[in-house]
Parts: sequence; structure tokens; C-alpha cells
Amino acid sequence: MADPAVVSGGALNAGGRGSGGKAATSPAENYHLARRRTLQVVVSALLTECGFDSAEKAAVETLTEMMQSYITEIGRCAKAYCEHTARSIPTLSDAVVTLIEMGFKADTLPLYAKRSQRMVITAPPVTNPPVTPKALSAGQKRTHPAHIPCHFPEFPDPHTYIKTPTFREPVSDYQVVREKAASQRRDVERALTRFMAKTGETESLFKDDITAFPLIAAQPSTIPYLSALLPSELELQTLEETDSSEQDDQTDGENAVGNMISDDPGADKENAMLPLSAVVPAAKASEDNVIDNPYLRPVKKPKVRRKK
Amino acid sequence: MNRKKDKGFESPRPFKLTHQVVCINNINFQRKSVIGFVELTIFPTVVNLNRIKLNSKQCRIYRVRVNELEAPFIYNDPTLEVCHHESKQRNLNYFSSAYTAAVSAVDPDAGHGELVIKVPSELWKQGDDLKVLKVYIEFSLDQPKGGLHFVVPDVEGSMAERGAHVFSFGYQNSTRFWFPCVDSYSELCTWKLEFTVDASMVAVSCGDLVETIYTHDMRKKTFHYVLPIPTAAPNISLAVGPFEILVDPYMHEVTHFCLPQLLPLLKHSMSYLHEIFEFYEEILTCRYPYACFKTVFVDEAYVQVSSYASMSIFSTNLLHSAMIIDQTPLTRRCLAQALAQQFFGCFISRMSWADEWVLKGISGYIYGLYLKKTFGVNEYRHWIKEELDKIVEYELKMGGVLLHPTFSGGKEKDNPTPHLHFSIKHPHTLSWEYYKMFQCKAHLVMRLIENRISMEFMLQVFNKLLSLASTASSQKYQSHMWSQMLLSTHAFLKSISNVSGKDIGPLIKQWVDQSAVVKFFGSFAFNRKRNVLELEIRQDYTSSGTQKYVGPIKVTVQELDGSFNHTLQIEENSLKHDIPCHSKSRRNKKKKIPLMNGEEVDMDLSAMDADSPLLWIRIDPDMSILRKVEFEQADFMWQYQLRYERDVVAQEESISALEKFPTAASRLALTDILEQEQCFYKVRMQACFCLAKIANAMVSTWQGPPAMKSLFTRMFCCKSCPNIVKTNHFLSFQSYFLQKTMPVAMALLRDVQNLCPKDVLNFILDLIKYNDNRKNKFSDNYYRAELIEALTNSLTPAISITNEVRTVDNLNADVRLILEEITRFLNMEKLLPSFRNTITVSCLSAIRQLQKNGHIPSDASLFKSYAKYGHFVDVRVAALEALVDYTRVERSSVDLQWLLEMAQNDPAHYVRHKILGMLCKNPPFTKTTDPAPPFTKTTDSALCNEALVDQLWKLMNSGTSHDWRLRCDAVNLYYALFGLTRPSCLPLPELGLVLNLKEKKAVLNPTIKPELGVGPVMDTPASIGIHGVDPISLGVCGVGQPPLSLKRKAETPLGSPPEPGQILQQQEDDARGGRFKIRLKRRIGFNTMEDEDIDMETVHDSQAFIHHHLNLLERPSTPGKEPPSVEQSMLSMPATPVPSFPKETTPLSSKHGGEHGHHHHHHHHEHKKKKKKHKHKHKHKHKHESKDKEKDRERDNSQAYSNSPASGRSLRSPSLSD
Repeated sequence: MADPAVVSGGALNAGGRGSGGKAATSPAENYHLARRRTLQVVVSALLTECGFDSAEKAAVETLTEMMQSYITEIGRCAKAYCEHTARSIPTLSDAVVTLIEMGFKADTLPLYAKRSQRMVITAPPVTNPPVTPKALSAGQKRTHPAHIPCHFPEFPDPHTYIKTPTFREPVSDYQVVREKAASQRRDVERALTRFMAKTGETESLFKDDITAFPLIAAQPSTIPYLSALLPSELELQTLEETDSSEQDDQTDGENAVGNMISDDPGADKENAMLPLSAVVPAAKASEDNVIDNPYLRPVKKPKVRRKK
Repeated sequence: MNRKKDKGFESPRPFKLTHQVVCINNINFQRKSVIGFVELTIFPTVVNLNRIKLNSKQCRIYRVRVNELEAPFIYNDPTLEVCHHESKQRNLNYFSSAYTAAVSAVDPDAGHGELVIKVPSELWKQGDDLKVLKVYIEFSLDQPKGGLHFVVPDVEGSMAERGAHVFSFGYQNSTRFWFPCVDSYSELCTWKLEFTVDASMVAVSCGDLVETIYTHDMRKKTFHYVLPIPTAAPNISLAVGPFEILVDPYMHEVTHFCLPQLLPLLKHSMSYLHEIFEFYEEILTCRYPYACFKTVFVDEAYVQVSSYASMSIFSTNLLHSAMIIDQTPLTRRCLAQALAQQFFGCFISRMSWADEWVLKGISGYIYGLYLKKTFGVNEYRHWIKEELDKIVEYELKMGGVLLHPTFSGGKEKDNPTPHLHFSIKHPHTLSWEYYKMFQCKAHLVMRLIENRISMEFMLQVFNKLLSLASTASSQKYQSHMWSQMLLSTHAFLKSISNVSGKDIGPLIKQWVDQSAVVKFFGSFAFNRKRNVLELEIRQDYTSSGTQKYVGPIKVTVQELDGSFNHTLQIEENSLKHDIPCHSKSRRNKKKKIPLMNGEEVDMDLSAMDADSPLLWIRIDPDMSILRKVEFEQADFMWQYQLRYERDVVAQEESISALEKFPTAASRLALTDILEQEQCFYKVRMQACFCLAKIANAMVSTWQGPPAMKSLFTRMFCCKSCPNIVKTNHFLSFQSYFLQKTMPVAMALLRDVQNLCPKDVLNFILDLIKYNDNRKNKFSDNYYRAELIEALTNSLTPAISITNEVRTVDNLNADVRLILEEITRFLNMEKLLPSFRNTITVSCLSAIRQLQKNGHIPSDASLFKSYAKYGHFVDVRVAALEALVDYTRVERSSVDLQWLLEMAQNDPAHYVRHKILGMLCKNPPFTKTTDPAPPFTKTTDSALCNEALVDQLWKLMNSGTSHDWRLRCDAVNLYYALFGLTRPSCLPLPELGLVLNLKEKKAVLNPTIKPELGVGPVMDTPASIGIHGVDPISLGVCGVGQPPLSLKRKAETPLGSPPEPGQILQQQEDDARGGRFKIRLKRRIGFNTMEDEDIDMETVHDSQAFIHHHLNLLERPSTPGKEPPSVEQSMLSMPATPVPSFPKETTPLSSKHGGEHGHHHHHHHHEHKKKKKKHKHKHKHKHKHESKDKEKDRERDNSQAYSNSPASGRSLRSPSLSD
């Protein structure tokens, strides 16, 4: 078991590698095949020893399989014993214990090995165990730091833990940033306005070339003061952002009052939507219940006797 | 002085109004109509009160009842059409006097009115017990053109959802436009106001809202208001709309109203009002007189601020969010103004028009105190200087502004302001600009009074007036105390003298009873031997708008040893004043120099004159004279004054003076001021522009980068990359304003080729490019607008290749960049509109500049589209301004027509007013003031033609009767275009004699010379053919009395007291007979009358005159244009006898009865026609047309009574038949 026999692994390996991947045999697979081949030879030799002249291929296969399982189990078990005792390499005693454990009389083994009729199998040509090819060699593999025993697993390939940014480092130069922001905004604005101009009515400053400086046509609105006075959504958004960020800058009282009042646009909007606006902001009403303003009083029902 | 010396108030009416009910039952937004009634409770003050005159305009009156009895009434409004049927009379003198007469005829202050109600005889028979009369008038208004303004946006939804609203407006007393009343500021009464409106609407009016009651169908509600404080009708107002209601969080009796969706803005804008309240109440030590206060913000407002009893109506455009910097102080100022007028103007009302200045003065003055407290002394002094400069400029240009006009005997001859083309006798005949200046002068004079008697006394006087008024207001009518709420000049002055014990008579005489300002010229020399400053102060009191000043004047001299005040006496003949100097000229370098305010500073004295200890001199530093000072001192003195004088006014004066000294030292002084952060920001802003001017003057020797560029870079650009501006934060408002101004000023720089330097333009373009407002809590819209203005300023005229059409291809590269920016800005504004569309406004003016400088083709269509109704008002005004300019430059009659059309028909009154105002400022052509080569060509503009004259004449004559302000604007425009006399573009009427009354010369119309062979000039007295008629009584040239039209005659049978210019009834017959005689005698004279329009003073050369006339006749007749007009004017005499008569014979003929007069005219008329035919045989081919025209005219004449809508209505009304 410790002497894995490989019949033609080297050649196969070479062939597999040479063919460059068309034969879907990786070097590791070749290695396994070679080992199995050796095992078959062993099984066949044992059968011959036992007196068989021929054997069906299926039977040989089955026996090979059994043998492989058996050997594997011995190895696994031995390894387990070894690790159980906090070692990393199995010793002879581990193997012996294993064999015993598996119900094999270990003391019979030397006799069996010295039997007369045993066949000698030529050792398979020694090939280097295949090196697992480095899939990705990104950078230097790191060595263990001093406090970690060298038996510990090595670091994985650097690519598994080193992050490689897919974008370029942002330029932090102020001038360039401003430049970029400015031109970006300008481009967006220009594209947008051009688009609007192309899709709608336009006016032109030149008679000869109407497309030269297209101006979006002025459309009268029915209530022009609304758009002119109310801050746009964008501005409101900005205001909210800056307000929250600069709240602590507010030192002078007058501004604070102003902000306080304009701070709840949401609530105001609701009121604004009401067609009849005899509504005072709820907050205010609750804070001071004694407001007696004639415009807030309920409208009286007509007196029946007064008019027809 | 004719100032009323009597203490009490004498009502011009034979009755006293005590209470008035106004009930408006229905307001229909769809049809823009209003139905209601009024009920006036009056106490007759005479026995046998048989007629009641009330004011009412444009109301349709259904019935009038007096104490439940139907009463007949006559409704006659002479201001509807000022000159009736008057076809060819086109001179402004004539119009002005006619207009003044028309306004006088219905002036409530004189006891007149449009509506004359006959008290049923049942009532006046028993009238001696002074019984109370209740006058009940039902009326309606249909699509009112004035008084009430309906704003009904054309969108889907109910009226409330559409934001439809209506509000009252008007210039001065204009309440008569929307309900019948005594429309005088001096007739006070208590009020009950009821308005029934849609349930979704709110009616805001004066007084306390007592209750709101649903109607029976629950669809409407009625607002009941009671105003217990006696108030004049002009102070009553109304606003109805789907308003959002905000109760002031600090003062619950104050309520704010705004249009839907604007509540957040309202909250922010009003968050400050309580402080203004507190301020006024504190300084006046008097509570706000009304129980409540309401502010209403409406769209399409007539003016930004208008105050009424216990409420003010504002333009909705004053509302702003917390993000807006520039609008905030403006809105607060408007609020403060409105509130000041609540005390003086609404609560305390004026006794007569002549006392208006007191109220305007006081409200303006306390408003100034508010400015001082809120915005600081610098701002206040800056404002005073600004106002002073304004009034000085106006008076020097237009002639004096008279605060307290006195009209002795009401004779036109005593016109106190002959230099003006309008009468100042009535507020309604005043030009708007004049009125603004009037207000400005009034508050400046109040400040002068304060200077004299101290602020403490001043406030005591106000307090006294207010407490008197509030005591009076709580009294019943019977106590006769209400007149205490009226303020007269006399009462005010008396109060001042009582409180302060000082005599301010000379001051009042100088500034209130006289118009004009003082103009000083100062210069000085230093006498080293005597160590004396020899100051020379001269005055110009001969040119227009100036007066002589005699009295004290303060002079401040800054010497090395300190600042010293000297009071000099300006006397008749002394020009020179010796002022001893305190310091020796030898300098003590170690010492610091003490300033006026006690501060001691180090100065670099190397620049100054080694012999003189004088650093700078200021004349009248406190602005205690309404004056203009032109003072000469050396440039280094101005520089010292700029650097070290702490008064902002002095700094501003020195900046304007330094413009004349383009030296490196001036540059340095200005730059230092610019950098100095303690310096008042408006001074620094002014310094920017001065620096630009200096740099341009020094262009060949200028060293270093363009002016202000490095300064701007240092202040506002990033440290690491100086070409990029910091992202906006605007935390310091001073730097914000400076940041806005500097690029604008820089763009005015010019290089040796007189172009804007390339790096300045690139710099501005970079500012636009790198402008980043994302992290700012304030909006940058004003800043961006200023950057566009900077681009505009950088424009210079294109190298003109003659008459080449401007195309894209030959666009200058720089201009292309500019245009690129403007296009982008303008387009972005459509997607993300800025506050008040400031960017669009700037872009429009930039485009106009590009056109004007020949970079892009001149074209009006863009402006027209922006000028249309439906754009924001600022945008419209900007577009209209561009259009006005376009019209002038291109002389486009089509566009002038377009503008005039809009001025007549636009829904927004403000825009109409603006159009005419801008046309006046930038007229398409000007009057030929200098008729040096007369008659070679009437005017060089093709725009000036007869059609335009007629159109404008019609506009001011009848087209603007619903809006006093607009009518005065039209008069101004007419004046700007044609002057006072008959427009020169009109064809000369070819009739017999030309009469020059001033020179007593009659000139035979030279056009008929070929036929008649008469010499052109007859040096005969005017008596040819007009024997027995006093030349003056002919009333030619509008010198004499204005005519009283047929319409107005209708009221004389009712026995009104004679008004100025009217003839007593008993004289009527005599007059008629007399006139008949005169007329027969005056056949030739009559001809002369038609020619009076030619201002003979300009006809120096009679040969030229004849020549011109020959030209006129020989001119090839363009079909349909020239000949008919010539012919029409020739025939105008026979065709329109009715109007021409009163004009000629004014004082006598003014009373001729309709029928008689008519008959007579026809007779006369026939006669003339024969003669005329005889004379002008060669004109035969035109006869047919003219006959048709005559027929038309005659038909018109026969309908004279029913012509005017108002009078026609009342004539047809059933009540008259009663």
C-alpha cells in the first residue's frame, strides 16, 4: 500500500498534458488510473497464486475495488489513530492497531509475506506525484508568521484573500473634481435642454439657422405665480439636506424661527391640498387652545325665522 | 399763506354721513359681476336738503330710495370722456385743463359727485328738524374695469380650486368704482359690511368679523363685518378668494391670507410681522388702533402694498421661502410700510388733498425709523441719501414737487406748478412718478422737522395726534368729535409748536409751501497766513426745480487735529465764508488723528498738501437741506474721506467724486475699501462700479490683472485652485452681495480696443461654469441672474458690416459662448424655474442687448411671446421693456401698436401701467423740443403720425377712464411724445386766420394765400372780426377755462352750487344771448379758432411757414392716408360745431342749453359751409366723403345725451320718470 505501483502513469500523464485538454484527463486522474492499474496487476497475481488460470474482467474489477477499499480503509484508520495521538504522520503501531481493529491477525502478516509462491511484481516506474497546478498565481504566497507552527496549513493562494479593485482609484484632486462636476452638470443640462427643445416647440434667435440656439418656447401658464414663487422639489431637497447638516450652525434666533416654521413642509402641504382652508395647523392649535380668531370659528347655520 | 386757519373741519356737503351699510349679495366669478346695495345714514346740516351728491363710477344703479321713498337720480360722469366730440383739438394744455375740470366737477372734497339724488319733496318739506335720512341704493357691477379686480385662472375645476379671487384696488380715493359712497378721505362714518360668497371662499374686509352664516341652501356663506371706528370710504376694501388662513402665532388678532398652496411661504414671510408691530407700538406709545389686522396676498396686485382700515392687500409676489435672501428685506420693508400707513393714512385720515403730505410724511418717517432700527444706521442713512438723490434728480429734471399746494379762489391762473403738464389740484390728475416723488419728499421733510425739534418731540406729536384720534373714534357721531381723526397741515404744525415750543415756520415755508430743491456749488481755498479756510458756497436758483436757500448750513471740516463742525449762515449776498482752522499745518506724525466719532486712527499723510491741515470738508453732512451739493476738493481729500470718514453717505459721495480722478491713488483707496469687511456693503458695491470706471479711464496705464479680479479670487475662490470659485454657501450676506456685484462691475471693464478683456469674459464664464449650489441652504437664483447680467455688460457693439443680416456663421466666438450660456439658462428655467423667474428676466435683457449690439438679428417675436398674459409678471415686464426698446431702435410701428394694444386691453393693471411708464422713459420718439429749422420736417420718426396722435388721444380721453393712474400715464406718454402743444405731425388746418393771443397777432393762414393773394402776416391786433370779445375769453390754446361739456351741463338744473368755471344759472340767458351776438360778429374770428393749435411762438419765420404749407398741399397724395386727414381737418370746423363752441367761448357759452345751442350751431354751420365751398373749390373731390362724415357727426350730436354709457343708463332708468 505504501508502495503505489503505477504502470504507465508517466506516459499517460505526459500524453494528457500534451494533448492540451481535449482528453478530459487531468494529471491527477492519470495518476489514479495508473494506481488502479497496478492494483489490478496485484489482484491478478494473487489470483494466479491461488491457482486461477483466467478470470473475468468483471470479477477482477470487483476484487480490485475491494482491495482498494480495504487499503484505503487501513490508511484512513491509521491516520485517524495517528491524529488521535496528536501526531501528523502515522507510525507502524498505528497501522498494526488498525489491522487489528479491522479483524486482521497482524502477526500472520510476516509469514504471509515470506510465502514461497509469491509472485514478484516489478515496481512501477517511480513518477513524481503530480503537482497540483497553480490555477492562479497572484502574487507571492505568504509564509507563516513566526508565531504559527510551520505544520499548520499554508496560506491559500493570494488571490483568495487579496482584494483587487476593479475600478481605478478616484482622483482626489480638488480642481479636477470640481472641473468634472461642473462639466458633467453642464453636459447633462445641455443634453436635457436640447432634448426638450427637440421634442417640443422652440423659438430661435436666428432666422437662417433655426437649430443653432434652440430656445424652448415660452408657454404661458394659468397660474404663473405658483411656479415662480414655490421652491422646486430639488431646492426643497437641498434645503432639507443642508438644514440637517448645518443645524448646529444656527445661532441667531431669527433664522431659527424661520427654519422652525418652514421645517414641516409635509404638514403644510396637506393643508394646502384642502380646498377650504379654514384650517389652522394642528400643532399650533394644540399648543395654544385659546386662539379666538373669528376666521377659525365655525360657520353658523342660518336662522330659520330670519329669512324666507 | 392760505392755509386753513380755522380749527374745525368744515364739510363741503350739506349733510353729514354717519353710517354706511355695504351689502354685496352675489359675486359671480364666471361673469365677473357683483350685485349689492348700500345704505347711507346721513344727517342733513341744512334745512331743505333737496339734493344729495354721491360718488359712483361704472356702477349700474337700479334704484335709489330715500327713507323708503323712491328717489329720482341722475348719474353723470364727466371723466368718462374728457373732451366730448372734440375732433381736432389735440393739445395737452387743453386736455389737462379739461381733465382737471372734469375731476373737479365730481370731486367729493368739494362736495360734488357723479350721482345726484333728488330727495323726495315729502322729506325736505319737513327737513328743518334735521331728520336722519337713509339713502338706499341698489347697484351692480358688470366686468368692472377698475375698482375691483377679478383674477380667474382659466383651468378646470371650481372657482375655489382654480384659485379665483377678487379684490378692490385703486389709486387714492377710488372706492366709488365699486360701490356708491362719499369717496372722500374726510367723510368718516362707521360701517357695516356684508359679503355673501361661495362656501369655499373667504371674504376679507375691514373691521371685525362678527359672524359667518350659511345661506339657507348651505352653498354660500355671509361674512358680517362691523367697523365701529369712523373710517373714510376710500379706506374700505374687500378681498374674496379661496384663501388659506394663517393666524399669526404671536398675535392671535392678526390673520394672514394667501392663495392656495402658498401657506408655507406665508408662514415664513409673516414670521417677522410681530416685531414690526412691537416697534411701532413702542415708538408711538400707542396701541394699534384697530381690534384686528388682516394681510391678504393677491395675484395681479395693482401696487405692491395698499393699506386699508385694519387690513392691507399685498402682492402675492412678496411671499418667499427661507431660501431666498434678496426678497426678504424687501418684503419686510413692504410690511413695515403697510403697517405705518395703518396708523397714519387709515386710522388718521387727511382733511384735504393739500394735507396729504402730512400723512405720507409721517408714515414714511416712522417707516424710516423702523429701517434704522432693523437694518441699521448705515442702511438708514444710505436710504435717506438715495431718497434725497431721487427727489433732487426729479425736481431738477421735471421741475418742483409741491407738498402743500394752495389754490386761492380755485382759479386756474394761480396754478402753482406751471412747469408741469398736469394739474396737482387733484390726486387723480397727478402723474404717478410725481406722486412717488411727492411721498419721498414728504418723509424727507418730516426728517427735516425731526432735525429741528428732535425725535423725542416728534414722537410726542404723533402720540398726541393718535390719542386725540382714538379718543374721538370711540365717541358717538353726535359729539362732533370725529373731525379729530382728520389731520390737516395746520393741526399738525400747531401740534408741533405746542409740543416743542419751536417755530418751524421757515422750514415749512421753504420745503412745504414752495416746490423745488437747492443746488449748491462749493469750493474752497486755504489761506495759510491766516490759517483760515475760505469756503465759497454758491447757489443756482434760476434753473428749473431750484429755489434759493437762506439760513444755516452745517459744514464739517476734518483737520489734522480733529473734526470740527461749523454752522454758516447762507445769506443773500455772501458767498464766501471764512472758517478758522484749529490745527497748524505742520504735522505731528506721532499723533493719531481723531475722527468725528471719537475714534483715533493712524493715517498715511504723505499724500496731502504739506501746507494745509485740511483732510476733507463736507457741506451739510446731515442732509438737513433738500439739496444737491457739488463740492470741489482735491482728489487726495476725497480719498481720505473715503478711507477714514465713517459716515456711509460721505463714503458714497467720495466714491462718486473719485470717478473724476482716475489715478493710482484712487484705485488704491477703492481697492482698500472693497477689501475692508467692516465697511458697509453697499458702499463696497458702489466702489466696484467706480473702480471699473477708473480702470477704463486708466486703460493705457493700468498695471496688473484686470481690476477686482485678484480681489474676487482672494475673497471667493478656492485657495488651491484660484480659477475656481468656492461652492456657494452665502452665510455672510455682505459677501454674498459683494460676490454678486463684482462680476457685474468687472464686465464693464474695457481694453484699449474698447472691448471687454478676454480674461474677464473667461473669468465670468468660469464663474458660471463652476457655480455649485448643492451644499447651500440659500437659493442662488439672484446670483446667477447677476452673472448673466455680467455677461450682458461685457457685450460691445459688433463690428458692423453695413446692413448685413446677422447669421449664425458670422457670430463672434466670444458671443457664441455667451449665447450658449444664455440659451442653456433660459431653457433650464423652463424645467427648474427660479424664484420670481429672475434668470429669465436677466436672459431676456441679455438677448435684447445682443440684438441691440448687432450680434444677433433684431427680432421682437421672442419678447412678444414672453410678454403675453400668463407669464410671471416680472418676466412680462422684462420682455415688455425689451419690446419698448426694440420699438424705439427699430422704429417699428407694428410693435408700437402691439404695445399700445396691450396697454389698453391687458387683464393686469400693473402691466398696463408699466407699459405706458416704460414708453415714457424710453419713448419711440421725442417731442421736437428744439424747433430750430421749423417745418422742414415735422419729426424724423415715421412713427409720429396722425393715427398715433388720435389713438393716444383717445386712450387718455376715454380709454382709461376706469383707472386714474393709467390715464395719467397716458397723459405722460402723450407729453413725452408730443409735448404740450398740438403735435407737429398733424396737418395744419387750413382756415382763415391764425391768431396768436400772446403776441396779439393774427396771421392769415398762408395756405390760402395763392387764392386770396393776401399778405402772410398782418400785424393787426386780434380784434379783426372779433370786436367786443376779450381775447382771453376766447379760451384758445387751453389757456382759458376748460369747457364744460353737454354732459356736465345736465347737472346744473339741479342747482348745484357754482363750481369753479361754472356760471351761475341766472347768467345763463344773458350768456346765451350775448354769445349769439358774438358769434355772428365773429365769422372770421371763428376760423381763427380752429387754428389755435399751431403754436405761434415757434413760427418765427413766416416764409418758412408758408413754404411748409405749400409743401403740404403739393405733397403727392398717398391714397387713403394723407389726403383724407388733411381734408378732414380742414372740414372739422363745420363738421363739429358743438364741441368747438364751448372751447372758444368757454366762460360765456358753458351754460348754453342743449336745444338752443344746437339750433344755433346748425344755422351757423350752414353759413360756414357755403363760405368754405367758395373758398376751396379745388377740394371738391373730397366733398362727398366729408358730407357723409358730417351726417355721422350730426347723428352723434343728436345722441349727445345717450352717448355716455353712464348717463344713458340713468336717463333710461325708470326712476327718472318718477
